[in-house]
Amino acid sequence: MDTGKKIRVLMVKVGLDGHWRGAVSVSSLLKDAGMEVIFGGFQEIDTIINTAIQEDVDVIGLSIHSGAHIYWTRKIVERLAERGLANEFILMVGGAIPEYDFEKLRDLGVYGIFSPGTLPERIVSEFRESVQGKKMARLH
Amino acid sequence: MFKKEEIKKIEKERLKWAKKIEDDKQLKKEFTTPSGIKIKNIYTPEDIKDVDYIKDIGFPGAYPHVRGVYPTMYRGQHWTIRMFSGFGTPEETNKRWRLLYEEGETGFSAACDVLTFNGIDPDDPEVDAQGEVGTSGTPLYSIKAVEEMIKDLPIDKVTVALVVECMTATSLTSMYFNAAKKRGYSLNQIGGTTQNDIGTMLIGYITRNSLTPQVLLKLACDLIEYCIPMKNAPRWNPINFTTYNYREGGIDAVQEIAFGFTNAIDHIDELLRRGWKIDEFVHRLAFHLSADRHFFEEIAKYRAARRIWAKLMTERYGAKDPRSIAMKYHVQTAGSSLANKQPMVNIIRTTIQGLEAVLGGTQSMHTNSWDEAICLPSDEAVKLAVKTQLVIREETGITDTIDPLAGSYYVEWLTNEMEKRILSYMGEIEAQGGFAKALENGWIFNEMAKAFHKRQRAIASGEEKFIGINCFTSQEESTIIPFRTNPKAAEIEIERLKKLRKERNNNLVTALLDELRRVCERKENVMPKVMELTAEGATLGEITKVYRQIFGVWELPVVV
Repeated sequence: MDTGKKIRVLMVKVGLDGHWRGAVSVSSLLKDAGMEVIFGGFQEIDTIINTAIQEDVDVIGLSIHSGAHIYWTRKIVERLAERGLANEFILMVGGAIPEYDFEKLRDLGVYGIFSPGTLPERIVSEFRESVQGKKMARLH
Repeated sequence: MFKKEEIKKIEKERLKWAKKIEDDKQLKKEFTTPSGIKIKNIYTPEDIKDVDYIKDIGFPGAYPHVRGVYPTMYRGQHWTIRMFSGFGTPEETNKRWRLLYEEGETGFSAACDVLTFNGIDPDDPEVDAQGEVGTSGTPLYSIKAVEEMIKDLPIDKVTVALVVECMTATSLTSMYFNAAKKRGYSLNQIGGTTQNDIGTMLIGYITRNSLTPQVLLKLACDLIEYCIPMKNAPRWNPINFTTYNYREGGIDAVQEIAFGFTNAIDHIDELLRRGWKIDEFVHRLAFHLSADRHFFEEIAKYRAARRIWAKLMTERYGAKDPRSIAMKYHVQTAGSSLANKQPMVNIIRTTIQGLEAVLGGTQSMHTNSWDEAICLPSDEAVKLAVKTQLVIREETGITDTIDPLAGSYYVEWLTNEMEKRILSYMGEIEAQGGFAKALENGWIFNEMAKAFHKRQRAIASGEEKFIGINCFTSQEESTIIPFRTNPKAAEIEIERLKKLRKERNNNLVTALLDELRRVCERKENVMPKVMELTAEGATLGEITKVYRQIFGVWELPVVV
């Protein structure tokens, strides 16, 4: 059982939406909580996946405020599957996401969804639990 | 304003009173505004004893404009009810605008989608953008789209604000101008606004494949120059320094005005460098401010800002025309103050913020809809947002007199305090070389990041109370079915562009694009060429590609 390996997160803006306060705040929050965070800025789907592989991250955080969150989540999930990487990374989505869409995103495989007003402790604990849960799953 | 002996008497009485309550319980150790100003329990004439009414406060419509930029203010003319709005397709946007007009709005404001903001056509082979057509605003990729958006609307009487930034402002404004000309209007009579703000593009939102601050400043000034000192569209407001967007990130009221003013100074200096005189253009430089949570700090902010601007124009720039020293602005109530839990509480927040804007003397206002923390506003919610302004205007009587809060010991003291702090922070930005330099060297991005974290910590710790989020929460599940934009928007807009490309003279457009490249290389004003281009059907993406190609893209120094 490995202990002490820092959780690695890739935080990216997907598509053309430039609302950045959430992505930057949450990146800093996760860093303060002891995680390694790579803030990727704007990245295309394939670039996101390449960076995630290169940086050997546990979690990919997608920040989307344009209303196209289901569109982009679906795209990345499909592309990961195409590249034989389904379930390789934990997916988290943050942004202007209505509660009404949470289920759809979960069905696509997103672990955590964070809309404005989510308290920081919840974000940190979900990130931790998701990685912990994956490690446990792998051991079995 | 008060005699010395009177002040001494008041001080004596206050100290007596303070002694009596010295051991009384206080709910907080300290009461401070969000920008950090310590607020006392009480303000008296002592706090404004050195204020000279005529010099420091004066009368509305005259230096130093603290009491308002017009002599009659709302007794002579209402502020414009101008709701930021747009989604799906230009036709759907036109329909929503008609609804808003029927509900009582008196000005239009075009919210554009992310492709329009970034200057990218939906059929651009290099960008995966189709999933975002119309999802967060109206698509406006060509003159055809603009024509549909303003179809049958009385744009000479009810002006349009184009909320697009400097990378696309020249294209969009010229599309609008050409569309207006086609409808028979003269550019001499057409009023309206283009946001055209370098700050919004770089720190309000971050832009993919941006241009450098210097190039953005150049393009912004090209539009201002074309419209105003070159007199091509003298009634147009070619820029709004949109501090609202910077504020939404978490910076405070002091920083908000300081960023806005140093941003404006860079534009003024550039236009002066181009040989224009201050009184030839500065009267058309305007602002788009926030109305945030702290009631009195926001009101003091507006009053202080007007005074600083009047002094700046007079003392630094020697402006002589009375129009030059009047700071005009639009206000948007703070989106970041809205919650997606118990969202109807947002109606109350927006109403209070609307009051701030009116008591502060705004020229124009957008009030948020209560569902905006969840999705784009639904018809019902946006109607209520318009009614919010109408109730303030028609039912409260607060517009019966000008600047009703003047003379309040607290408000005048706070106005003075805000002025001091804004000037001091402006000094810090000027020490970096000004707003554009401070963007380039990353200083502003750093200040933004610090502000984000500060705000996050304040909400997380409960220091900043946010009902429904960190206090007075409830377990209720949201039953709101979010407003969705047209899923066929991408199809429709791609088809519109296809048709346009078929009908236009492609050889001419190609030649004009080439000429635009030369204009950019020679660092000339792009507007005349862009006017020709959009009249011939050149698209937003085609023109913006030229800018990126010739000027080069800039990666923003975002700090985490």
